[in-house]
Amino acid sequence: MKRALVIVLLAIVAMPLLAAMAAMPRFGSAEQPAYTHVAKRYLERGVEEAGAENVVTGVILNYRGFDTNGEVTVIFTACAAVIAVLAGSRNRQDQREAASSVPESLVVRYVVRLLAPFIALFALYVVLFGEVSPGGGFQGGTVFGALLIVMTVAVSRNQAERLLPLRIRPWLQIAGPLSFLAVGTAGVVLTGWYLGFPQGATAATRLMLMVLEFGIGVGGATVIASIFWRLGDEA
Amino acid sequence: MIGILWDNFDYAVSVLLFLIGLYCVIAKNNLIKKFMGLNIMETSVFAFIVALGVVKGGSAPIMEPGARPPFINPIPQALILTGIVVAVSTTALALSLIVRVWRQCGTIEADELRELE
Repeated sequence: MKRALVIVLLAIVAMPLLAAMAAMPRFGSAEQPAYTHVAKRYLERGVEEAGAENVVTGVILNYRGFDTNGEVTVIFTACAAVIAVLAGSRNRQDQREAASSVPESLVVRYVVRLLAPFIALFALYVVLFGEVSPGGGFQGGTVFGALLIVMTVAVSRNQAERLLPLRIRPWLQIAGPLSFLAVGTAGVVLTGWYLGFPQGATAATRLMLMVLEFGIGVGGATVIASIFWRLGDEA
Repeated sequence: MIGILWDNFDYAVSVLLFLIGLYCVIAKNNLIKKFMGLNIMETSVFAFIVALGVVKGGSAPIMEPGARPPFINPIPQALILTGIVVAVSTTALALSLIVRVWRQCGTIEADELRELE
């Protein structure tokens, strides 16, 4: 009975959606409105205006820098909220490790340890070359965060946590918003606008984009790993 | 209409994915499964918007020497990158709230939680 009701509801939701999809411009056409207005300008003049060969990076950090500024604030706020919601939980890894019911696999442990430096190098590469090739701060940060998580699962949490020392971890968590604040202030000095970039692919623009990418990458990796560790803490 | 829908097959698939997510949110009893449904719905929207930017025969919008137009629309990709990060943030917060519910009530089944009231 309940299942039938749900299916009827889904059918009611599906019909207007499918009708709208049928009325959309054809998939993959170059004449659709989404492609002919602002996207055209970004593609034609993006490199000289935004200073990044990867137009997606140019859009994220330069044209729509405010948007990304809000975004890094959102992810930092999420990290703070997770830590606040689970306040009072404690890391009891040390006692639990002895009595862990999950059998450790030597192969997995060895392979993770073997691959760890290469994954870290790849994360760094993705961050640093985000302007000229596919990649960027978020992507590289996620790769490094995933490395921390896989090390926590396969090797040990203490070893993974040693990569982000507790003393400087709050600064790493807020690295994204801080880098935006720094670059935004530099923009005020250089152009008179918050997050304003000098026109063209100058050295200053490159440096500002690099600082943003790096801040986003460090902040993203730390936030993801911190959330994962916090969720794993015991009451 | 079916013919046009067949041309816009990628969009129709994202509708299907959206419905699967909606089904999980409505019909599943476990809170984690409900949020997995929400994540599936988010993914369907992401897939739809990224598909909007596709241009047939287009290449990635990276202006290295030798790159030739047409290029794929960079705006949907940039917007969805933002969207994915927000989705991760909401998922993390939701999971931490579920952990809290588990600690307080000892269950994360929606009907059992309703009985506890």
